[in-house]
Amino acid sequence: MDDTVEFADRIRLLATRMIARQGFGYLGQAMSSAELIASLYCGPYRPDRDELVCSPGHYVIGFYAAACEIGLLDESALDTYGDDGSHLEAIGTEQSPGVDLTTGSLGQGLSGAVGLALAHRMHGNTDSRVFALVSDGELEEGQVWEAALFAAHNQLSSLVVIIDANDSQVDGPVSTITTLDPIADKWRSFGWDAFDIDGHDVDEVSDALQKAITSDRPAVVIGRTSTTHGISLPDGVDGHFIKLPQDVAGSAIAELERRLA
Amino acid sequence: MLKPYGRALVKLAGQRNDIVCLSGDLTRQCEVDLFQERFPERFVHAGMAEANMIGMAGAMARRGFVPFVHTFGVFATRRPLDQIINAVAYPRLPVRIVGFMPGISSPGGPSHQAIDDVALMRALPNMTVVDLADATEIEKAIPVIADVDGPVYLRLKRGEIPVVFDHDHEFSLDRARVLRSGTDVAIFASGMMVPTAIAAASTLADEGVDVSLVDVPVIKPLDIETVIEVATSARAVITAENHSVIGGLGSAVAEAMAEAGIGRRLRRIGVQDTFAEGAKTADSLFRKYSLTTDDIVSAAWSLSDRPGPAPKTPGLDTVAGEYSPV
Repeated sequence: MDDTVEFADRIRLLATRMIARQGFGYLGQAMSSAELIASLYCGPYRPDRDELVCSPGHYVIGFYAAACEIGLLDESALDTYGDDGSHLEAIGTEQSPGVDLTTGSLGQGLSGAVGLALAHRMHGNTDSRVFALVSDGELEEGQVWEAALFAAHNQLSSLVVIIDANDSQVDGPVSTITTLDPIADKWRSFGWDAFDIDGHDVDEVSDALQKAITSDRPAVVIGRTSTTHGISLPDGVDGHFIKLPQDVAGSAIAELERRLA
Repeated sequence: MLKPYGRALVKLAGQRNDIVCLSGDLTRQCEVDLFQERFPERFVHAGMAEANMIGMAGAMARRGFVPFVHTFGVFATRRPLDQIINAVAYPRLPVRIVGFMPGISSPGGPSHQAIDDVALMRALPNMTVVDLADATEIEKAIPVIADVDGPVYLRLKRGEIPVVFDHDHEFSLDRARVLRSGTDVAIFASGMMVPTAIAAASTLADEGVDVSLVDVPVIKPLDIETVIEVATSARAVITAENHSVIGGLGSAVAEAMAEAGIGRRLRRIGVQDTFAEGAKTADSLFRKYSLTTDDIVSAAWSLSDRPGPAPKTPGLDTVAGEYSPV
């Protein structure tokens, strides 16, 4: 599991460097999802045959970092993140590397993941799995639940959803805007297997992913996370989109480099 | 100027108890944190659920409220289009849909760039479509919009709002505003392109091109009388909008000219039937997609058959108040 822990911190480090160059961006998303993404890459995800969906395009920074870690993306490309003319856009688009599908208009990725799973089934391909990262804020969009109903009804067992439940949306904590809990019970009642776990504990995440891929139903791993996990930031530097002053960025990068040394 | 819309809505709500405010997880970005602080009992956190938000607003309007609904223009028009049609436009209810961050003023990529919101809303029967240019126009327009008999789509810039017009500027739902009159080229502009067009008209006038300039804040219903009168008095016509050239101001002006039989050459400045992309700055997108002062000047220069290269207008195209894409 040390490899997974290190992979997660590498995501944090690369993401912080990307955000530091810009001075602002989607850092919290990378911090909360680091262990979820790392556990996928160090676990069941096989880039050569599985599909990877990043439903909330704002999370694509973590996937750029992960793609770099496994050699699918040159580390120098990360230096262009968010720049004018770069194909590494801050919000994922059709040209984003590292993922098979992403969108900046939230709540639409799960339908895409369902469609990919359906396409593989119709092609007679029983080997490929579809992994989809979904954010808890996206659960406010009705389309997510339309997709969840469809996937269970059609027994799309190759589909595994990972929810980054970081309790963060633009207007504040998700729990102050919409009560989502009990999240796992909602998915179970829709016909899914559901695993509600600490999303920063790589043992728990890896164990849940293993159960999810062997389930005979579509399965969801609900990772409880924090946008400030794994990095020391001053109070108030969290949320959906943050400004990252150079001195704060410098100390965060130094902290991560020390931990990875 | 910051938050002229938010202040205008708070002022209106202080005078009228029927004004309610709904927000789709973009409260501060849509300036209605001011409303939430002042009138929490009339503020609704709808969350990131636009279809539900529109459906609720339509029903609240049926029971005597005037709901102002807020999110970015993309999410206000694309996501809940069917709900807007069936729950608001068809029953002709007084819902005010306010979409922030127009066109390519967002560096957040195609998912965040409302290049088709005017076209989508203009196609709906009963819908009034408004694209405002500056803080003064916003302040004047909000009370007028509140009284419209039927639904309104209001398109607003996000962040720093320019002040272009004097305080005696009046907003009219019926009349476009002729800012200058000339006989060579007539320019019609809306929203964020109005300050750009004013700068272009000034440069053109300095170089001896006699231009008309019309601020068209209400794209539907279009003030056809003014459009035809001004177009007729010029030899060529330019439209300028921070939107696709299909379905917005350029299309509306073209339709009016064609139906009136006004044969004038027409150049539509706007997004030329393409998706843009994510960037660090909106400014770079305005340049790449040819929505700058120089682009308007250049179009007018060639339409008026001037020899040589078009004059440049230095240092005018920075979009004030850069902001995050969110």
